[in-house]
Amino acid sequence: MTTIAPEKVEVGKSWLGESVPRKEDRRLTQGQGVFVDDVKRHGMGYLHFVRSPYAHAHITSIDVSKAEEIKGVYGTLTGEEVATLTDPFFQIASEPGGQIKDFSLAVGKVRFVGEPVVAVVAETRELARDASELVEVEYEPLPALVDARQALDGAAPVLHDDAGGNLMWEGVYEWGDLDQAFAEADHVVKIPELHFHRFNSTPLECDGALVEFNRGTGQWTIHTNNQFPGFAAIMMGPAMRCGLDKLRFVTQDIGGGFGNKITSHPQLVVCCLLSRKLNRPIQWTEWRTDFHMSMSHGNERWFQDTEVAVKADGTLLGFRTKALDDAGAWLRYEPLGGVIWAQVTPGMYRWRHIRVDFTQVATNKAPVSPNRGYSRMQHLWFTERVIDIVARELELDPVEVRKRNYIRVEDMPYETPNGCVYDSGDYAQMLDIALGLIGWSSMDDKRRDAESRGKRLGVGIGSTLDSGTNNFGQSRLINPELQFSGNNEVATVKLDIFGEIVVTLGTTPQGQGHETTAAQVVAEILNCSVDDVHVRAGHDSYWNSHAGFSGTYASQFAVTGLSAVKGATEMLREEIKRLASAVFGGVPVEALELAEGGVRIKDNPEAFLPFMACGAIINANNAGLPEDLGVTLNCRYVYRPPFQVPDVERKFGNLTLTYATQIHVAVIEVDPETGYYEIVDYAAVDDCGKRINPQIVEGQVMGATAQAIGAAMHETFEYDEDGNLLTPNFYDYHVPHALDMPPLHTGAMESPSPFTPLGTKGMGEGGGAGIHAICAAVQDATGKIVTDSHNPYHRVWELMR
Amino acid sequence: MDVAVTVNGTPYEREVEARKLLIHFLRDDLDLTGSHIGCDTGNCGACSVILDGKLVKSCMLLAVQADGSEIETVEGLADGDKLTELQQAFTEHHALQCGYCTPGMLMSATALLRENASPSDEDIRKALQGNICRCTGYWNIVEAVKSVAR
Amino acid sequence: MLLREVEYAKPSSVKEALERLAENDGARALAGGQTLINVMKARAASPDVLVDLNGLEELKGIDLAPDGTLSIGPMTTYSELIDSAEARARPILREVCSRIADVQVRNRGTIGGNLCSNDPTNHLPPLMAAVGARFTIAGQDGERTVPASDFFLGVYMTAVGQAELLTRIAIPAGKQDGFAAVTLGVEGTCIVNAAASMNGSLRVAIGCVDAVPVVVEAESPDTVREAVRAAGLHPPDDVHASSEYRAHLAEVLAERAARQAAETR
Repeated sequence: MTTIAPEKVEVGKSWLGESVPRKEDRRLTQGQGVFVDDVKRHGMGYLHFVRSPYAHAHITSIDVSKAEEIKGVYGTLTGEEVATLTDPFFQIASEPGGQIKDFSLAVGKVRFVGEPVVAVVAETRELARDASELVEVEYEPLPALVDARQALDGAAPVLHDDAGGNLMWEGVYEWGDLDQAFAEADHVVKIPELHFHRFNSTPLECDGALVEFNRGTGQWTIHTNNQFPGFAAIMMGPAMRCGLDKLRFVTQDIGGGFGNKITSHPQLVVCCLLSRKLNRPIQWTEWRTDFHMSMSHGNERWFQDTEVAVKADGTLLGFRTKALDDAGAWLRYEPLGGVIWAQVTPGMYRWRHIRVDFTQVATNKAPVSPNRGYSRMQHLWFTERVIDIVARELELDPVEVRKRNYIRVEDMPYETPNGCVYDSGDYAQMLDIALGLIGWSSMDDKRRDAESRGKRLGVGIGSTLDSGTNNFGQSRLINPELQFSGNNEVATVKLDIFGEIVVTLGTTPQGQGHETTAAQVVAEILNCSVDDVHVRAGHDSYWNSHAGFSGTYASQFAVTGLSAVKGATEMLREEIKRLASAVFGGVPVEALELAEGGVRIKDNPEAFLPFMACGAIINANNAGLPEDLGVTLNCRYVYRPPFQVPDVERKFGNLTLTYATQIHVAVIEVDPETGYYEIVDYAAVDDCGKRINPQIVEGQVMGATAQAIGAAMHETFEYDEDGNLLTPNFYDYHVPHALDMPPLHTGAMESPSPFTPLGTKGMGEGGGAGIHAICAAVQDATGKIVTDSHNPYHRVWELMR
Repeated sequence: MDVAVTVNGTPYEREVEARKLLIHFLRDDLDLTGSHIGCDTGNCGACSVILDGKLVKSCMLLAVQADGSEIETVEGLADGDKLTELQQAFTEHHALQCGYCTPGMLMSATALLRENASPSDEDIRKALQGNICRCTGYWNIVEAVKSVAR
Repeated sequence: MLLREVEYAKPSSVKEALERLAENDGARALAGGQTLINVMKARAASPDVLVDLNGLEELKGIDLAPDGTLSIGPMTTYSELIDSAEARARPILREVCSRIADVQVRNRGTIGGNLCSNDPTNHLPPLMAAVGARFTIAGQDGERTVPASDFFLGVYMTAVGQAELLTRIAIPAGKQDGFAAVTLGVEGTCIVNAAASMNGSLRVAIGCVDAVPVVVEAESPDTVREAVRAAGLHPPDDVHASSEYRAHLAEVLAERAARQAAETR
């Protein structure tokens, strides 16, 4: 393992840039984490969902009587009840997708295998499961639509009559002058079809909740592992016809999210309704098979009829393509995927003339929702494929084509054709570092050596961006009626009576170490030790340290969360000084500094007020303080990134605040007789601006790499023609294990963001660089063009025939 | 049916249905929620415990099959407040992120080190093959285990 | 993930185990549980009674006879076989068992369980077919011993009846064996596997391509592919491989296993 030190060497006692061991680990290494299935309540009822066995069918009748007769079964809930008790979920889409009626249980019809139809609640898990087999549901099967490319054919089965067809959303994005670009081109490279496949990050912990209803106050307490409570609340409140304050979200430890825990709100609504109906807490654990069949598949996207305008020397002028996105049966966070890719419209390249015809359709498959790299990954994979295919067709070196076309360090901050601003980064240098890490200069020798053993070597580059901190105004490009824009995150920092520093966050970490990095920022500003900073674990609406967009998603904590922490702590520091100023009889605030667990006069350090004294005075001993002091030592700060509402007409404007970069290189050896291949060497270089905790950052890079390798080689959600998922569990959906991992070399650079308070950039999703690199390596090894993001052994064999 | 087990040195006696899986018995009946459930086909290893000295996946055993056995779970590793070398190594090497696979990983690594105090990288990876992690990519976990090897 | 109600019996002898099985059509033997418990979680099968064979010493142990025959108790776990000094007499056994699943599964999963479940992707059925193993089956009426060709009957089906138990696996002496597989991830589930054994001529057994291992004979590794083609395979299509790919892998892996066998001294 090589982690290359950044150019800037950190000296002194700054907490920023220190790989501080994580605070979370003490409890997690002892099995003392509190994950949602660990939460128990006396008298709780266990919930099991009866799920559709058909991909597409009318529901002709539901009879729960036999199930309800069983001793120990507490009750049931059907779609019919849901349709009475709730309103359909708010749809982000404009016409036609906006017409669909999405309830939390199937109403009248089922549209994918695994769709929840009835909920059964019983005294034990096993009994709920048993009783669910006694629920009688009659179906009238309908033909299933499984291939998005057929969704708009006249003969295609229609999922949502309300939308009048399977088209959910479409939009044309065009910038620059394509006619000019294609006229100027020396070559037009045509790529008939590229396919980014369906998979997701399968967090080890599935979704779950324990929901309690307080009859007296009408309040639900939702213990859950949903990673975006702000979004869940906005969806659930109107549907349940209750105010958002009636929905209290509590999370502590979450076993991985990766975006896949954003759209559990339908199931949470079911739990809420049942907790009220049955007057008892409701416990729901999603099983692995349920998760695979029904939750958060990543966007499957086709890129059709791509044309690329290129000069003879490999300069890329522009491209046009038709992106066809398969949303699955429901729009739960979609069609935002239809605009979010535009955060990285040109990828990492300087072409200025771009057209994307984006179409999103519904199919009888699990609903799509954010998956690590959400929508940008698909588009960046596309741009990387274009680079490598163009390089191949024109017989140019993929390294040279990249360097010729990369946005240059001197261009930064760089405005893309659609008005996004890439803040900083030196892509060419990162590529050199990555190539160095895998011994690029001796690659010819390695090729010969592989050949002597009967193998074919392949080297592939995957360069990608991790755009972070969304401007939710981009949703208006999907639907101009929407009233969302900007972003926010909240933190509170206070001194308690005994001077304890307590921090609460609005985020819902699933392993990113927020407690630790937040403590580092606080310790830096208050000039104390991280051990003195107590960050509460998890998220709780009752802390009131959240805002509309609170949650942990979209690679943003280092910007949004930490900037909120910085703001709150700076407020606290200022208040501490004003308090001390008053206590010291009016000493000017500028003469004071925080040090050694308190505040003192710079020139007279003996005049020292420890934090404990500050906390005690304000909380319990405040007589005689000046009337206008305005100090509470309980500071709440809302960070708001500097965004404007984008220009909806031109589809132009800054959609994300920061752009972290990753460049990966994969070296593979293919067995030409079998198509079997292994990754024999691998480099991952990352630049996410200022790294608060380098070890945590590197951990995210590694995790993203492992997931990308899994997706590229093994992981796929494939369906048969009847809409049955062929990989509904970990037996068939192979997730890489420790033996599957290649040797890994990591490197890092730090190009601070000029747009963020700490110079940090969000990172974590990673942008799928590993998928891009492995596709490129397979292309190099086989000599054949790779058009699919998923390349298991059989596909590699087929390529070489 | 009656089940009598000793878990982390503490004896327990409970009455269970024959069909109850050992992992549910540990988590629901004994309130030992440190071992986790991540799949339903015996692949992920989050439920790994040591039963009569052997590493097993507790989701593929009935509780009644453990009658009379000695079981070790993650809760039994530390000595009060004192973490084991292995647990500390996991922290030092950032061998965990969300922590969900961690109890299983620790039990697998513990079982390995008892059998082989000086495992190679390959030995470690093979020993952890039955434990899925989605966060770390395993590299830091291997480093952590290697760091406490002799 | 949650089993249906089931009764549990823990007999203390093979005789008692056979009685429990005979008493109830819906009684099934529980060996390592590494397959059966998962099947029951999915509710794809729900026996009425589980007859737990763990603890039956009669079904354990590996004996090496003076003539080199290995006699393996079916309740031997993969780990026990790997650690067994006697089993080293036939090194391929240990080599293949080490590649099955993971440590946890190997600590509970059994040789007999692997054979009796006869999942077409299992490692041991083709291996046993290649080495010419013989299987002793006991019922309340007595015992019989059958060769591999009469043991593996269909997908998940063997000659062991509902009220019978596999009690011994006998493997003749030999050392010239090979095994090759392409798996889902390193040491994962087999996509295609092949086992070979050389005893004058070659016997190759291919798994994952049919309901039971397909056995072909050849004079030498050079003629194995031809023999496989002549067998006219029609392997299944699934998400991991097309029929054509499996048929191709069958040829390649059969030859590789054969070469390993021929080159072993």
